[in-house]
Amino acid sequence: MASDGASDGASDGAKEGGLGEVAAKALGNRSFVIGGVLTGVLIVVALVSLVWTPYSVIDMDIAGKLRVPSAAHWFGTDQFGRDVFSMMMVGAQNSIAVSLVAVGVGAGFGVPLGALAAARGGWLDETVMRFNDFAFAFPAVLSAVMITALAGPGAVNSIIAIGIFNIPVFARLTRGGALAIWKREFVMAARVAGKNAVRITVEHILPNVASILIVQATIQFALAILAEAGLSYLGLGTQPPQPSWGKMLNEAQTLMFLAPQLAIFPGVAIVLTVLGLNLLGDGLRDVLDPRLRRLR
Amino acid sequence: MSVFLARRLVALFLTLLGASLAVFLILEVLPGDPATVMLGIGAQEDSLAALRAQLGLDRPAWQRYLVWIWGWFQGDLGNSYAYDEPVIKIILERLRVSLPLALMAITLSTAIGLPLGVLAAARRNSLTDVSVMGFVQVGVAIPNFWFAILMILFFSVFLKVMPAGGFAGWDAGVWPAIKSLILPAVALALPQAAILARVTRSSVLEVMREDYVRTARAKGLTFAAALWRHAVRNALIPVVTIMGLQFSFLLAGTIIIENVFYLPGLGRLIFQAIAQRDVIVVKDVVVLLAGAVVLVNFIVDMSYALLDPRLRGGGHGQ
Amino acid sequence: MALLEVEDLNVTIPTPRGTAHILSDVSFALERGECLGFAGESGCGKSITAMAVMGLLPTTAQATGRIRLDGRDLLAMDEAGLCAIRGRRVAMVFQEPMTALNPVKTIGFQVAEGPRLHLKLSKAEAGRRAVAMLRRVGLPPDRFSPDLYPYQLSGGQRQRVMIAAALACEPDILIADEPTTALDVTIQAQILDLISDVVQETGMALVMITHDLGVIAETAERMMVMYAGRIVESGPTAEVFRHMAHPYTRGLFAAIPGGPEEESRRLATIPGQVPEPIALPPGCAFAGRCARTEDDCRAAVPPAEPVGPGHRVRCLHPHVGAT
Repeated sequence: MASDGASDGASDGAKEGGLGEVAAKALGNRSFVIGGVLTGVLIVVALVSLVWTPYSVIDMDIAGKLRVPSAAHWFGTDQFGRDVFSMMMVGAQNSIAVSLVAVGVGAGFGVPLGALAAARGGWLDETVMRFNDFAFAFPAVLSAVMITALAGPGAVNSIIAIGIFNIPVFARLTRGGALAIWKREFVMAARVAGKNAVRITVEHILPNVASILIVQATIQFALAILAEAGLSYLGLGTQPPQPSWGKMLNEAQTLMFLAPQLAIFPGVAIVLTVLGLNLLGDGLRDVLDPRLRRLR
Repeated sequence: MSVFLARRLVALFLTLLGASLAVFLILEVLPGDPATVMLGIGAQEDSLAALRAQLGLDRPAWQRYLVWIWGWFQGDLGNSYAYDEPVIKIILERLRVSLPLALMAITLSTAIGLPLGVLAAARRNSLTDVSVMGFVQVGVAIPNFWFAILMILFFSVFLKVMPAGGFAGWDAGVWPAIKSLILPAVALALPQAAILARVTRSSVLEVMREDYVRTARAKGLTFAAALWRHAVRNALIPVVTIMGLQFSFLLAGTIIIENVFYLPGLGRLIFQAIAQRDVIVVKDVVVLLAGAVVLVNFIVDMSYALLDPRLRGGGHGQ
Repeated sequence: MALLEVEDLNVTIPTPRGTAHILSDVSFALERGECLGFAGESGCGKSITAMAVMGLLPTTAQATGRIRLDGRDLLAMDEAGLCAIRGRRVAMVFQEPMTALNPVKTIGFQVAEGPRLHLKLSKAEAGRRAVAMLRRVGLPPDRFSPDLYPYQLSGGQRQRVMIAAALACEPDILIADEPTTALDVTIQAQILDLISDVVQETGMALVMITHDLGVIAETAERMMVMYAGRIVESGPTAEVFRHMAHPYTRGLFAAIPGGPEEESRRLATIPGQVPEPIALPPGCAFAGRCARTEDDCRAAVPPAEPVGPGHRVRCLHPHVGAT
């Protein structure tokens, strides 16, 4: 689902420059800069929330419930009198943690699986790919709903659920990229030199598919944020009292007539996060390798 | 062509078999006993045993699997534990909501996404193009359930022109029923329309570089006519693929969206059935949804033949 | 008045690295029924000249000068006017028959499209005309139904379809841009013969664009040799072949494989490279590759001087005498 971006003209085959050249190119790429800033802000907020939030997100203050935004409570308070801004800071931390681990799980299983399928070929490749097709045919959120509902709601189970449907994405991408690299001369040379498949994969294949994988990981990260929010909204993700953006939106919906402002902030946070990651992914694609756009 | 068709049908059948086996196995390891759920905690052990025997839960797993599958071939999907009604009846009832919802969403996303994509490609790098690409970026970033909440805020809370949720029912008349599906359909359609617009745009741009579009221009066709008659149909092939893939997302989306709007559809049914450990309903609906996804992708593959004569086979000349 | 007059045509394309001079001071005239050949390497501007006449330059290109068809300047004409001329008065056959036909439309539709658009024929009339045109180019309906799709035909057959589509509205000018380059050698001659036949039969003018001087010799009465966006030599084909004056023309001639000289001799190549269109030298563009270059060649672009009957050359030190 790559965008072919606004900066088509910028990719005139220049590549493989030094690190400085890549950095210069990155700073000249509008998507990369905007996406990087949005993602950076999110990460800083999440890190700060680990040590400090304006108010406690656990303590309730029923007397001060459903306040509208003010100097004291920037985003107001919820139905238990908790500070919405503080809850959203912790929610950022929650979103990042769940998505990061979920994408990690997907890449951790998917990349070796894809690399193996490409290296071995034959029935193994066939099996992995058929399994992939099957996983793709299955509505991902449906399996996530089933897993979390069966194993019980909670952050860990939503990580597993989201992680599982990331596996085929990485497996397919790695296999496709690796197959192309396996045919290249320098891999032939390594085989002739007597290196085994594992060593060739680690030394030659993976470094060459790394940039595609990084770009895809960014996009999967964005999708995982959306999926986590959806599961939390359904009450299957992170459990109270730990705040999460999806859960906050669920609660806001029941209070929509009383305090419509509560339904705004967590949604904006999700949109900015996903937008930031998607832009970062598009930017990275242009910066790391303009030819990637052709491959999609 | 017929070989192709037969192979696809076999694959379709195998996928359904795999899906049914997967669901059955997952639910097999599920903690929680349907009999206990039905009779409540603290029920007598002998009445629990009697109910288990009645439901066939005392038989070995492989027998229960075969009985279940055999039931599908006979049109008997079993009885829901929670509702004590035939599952087929419940499903048909819920489809009266989910099917129109899905159709409305697909129609809407196609009606928005395709023209926007073609327009953006035709006026590449113009303000139109930039706006469409902006819409795409935002459209894929908005969680559909939040967009739904925003629409409820605007149309139901402020303007009070749309119901905030619930389904009026077809008995209340066609318009009230449709009206309660409009906001959900829009919420489902938005991200799909964004993705469709993006794919259409890049596909049309790709095709417009083709030599035969230049040939059409050299014959005297205007830019718009060459685009419409020669580029769009060729550009549709990747777009149709994406539309097929989107169907699976759409079904997943209905689980959330039907919950946002409290619609009694299939998505809400399966969500509730999982929570209530209504195992038989979960199994049946999952296989049905998986079947729908596979079937749609089958139809998509078939539609390639309509779009591309090369796939219709029957070589001449050389 | 000539049918087509091109005067001082200049085409530039702005690029991030500077302005690219694609065509410089191109002037020529085409009489009714005349066969004119354009020769040169790829990128020399011969295809761009054709696209300029068709009014199908890339949108970023800027063209100045005049392109007059029956006295009307095409460069000043609006899009609707150009659409009425394309395919009707001036038709074109492209190099790649594999990709120049739409893979999802029948060949009958693609031949009939022009007549339906320009001659306002009904679907049935246009269909009959398409069958007649296909028959004329050697695709009789008993073996080549108009309902066939391009993928069902060979490369040569597809090029015949392209020619049929180009002839369908009886244009005054047929532009053939490397029509045989992508074809097998045995098919090339057939397609050239077909083009020569239909041109003679209908009396339309032909612009043959090719890198192959052999094709020019076979089809063109008059020829132009282009280099780096400029016409460097022009004249009646027989005269130019007898007295090639520009060193570049001679180089091009020597590069013909199996040329008239010695069959077995290694293919001659011209040393050096064509200057880039964003960095054209102030003088003769060929000076960097030419054995006859002297200081004056680098000072200014040589004017087109007459060297024989109707024969002009842009060279300060041309070859004289027989080739």
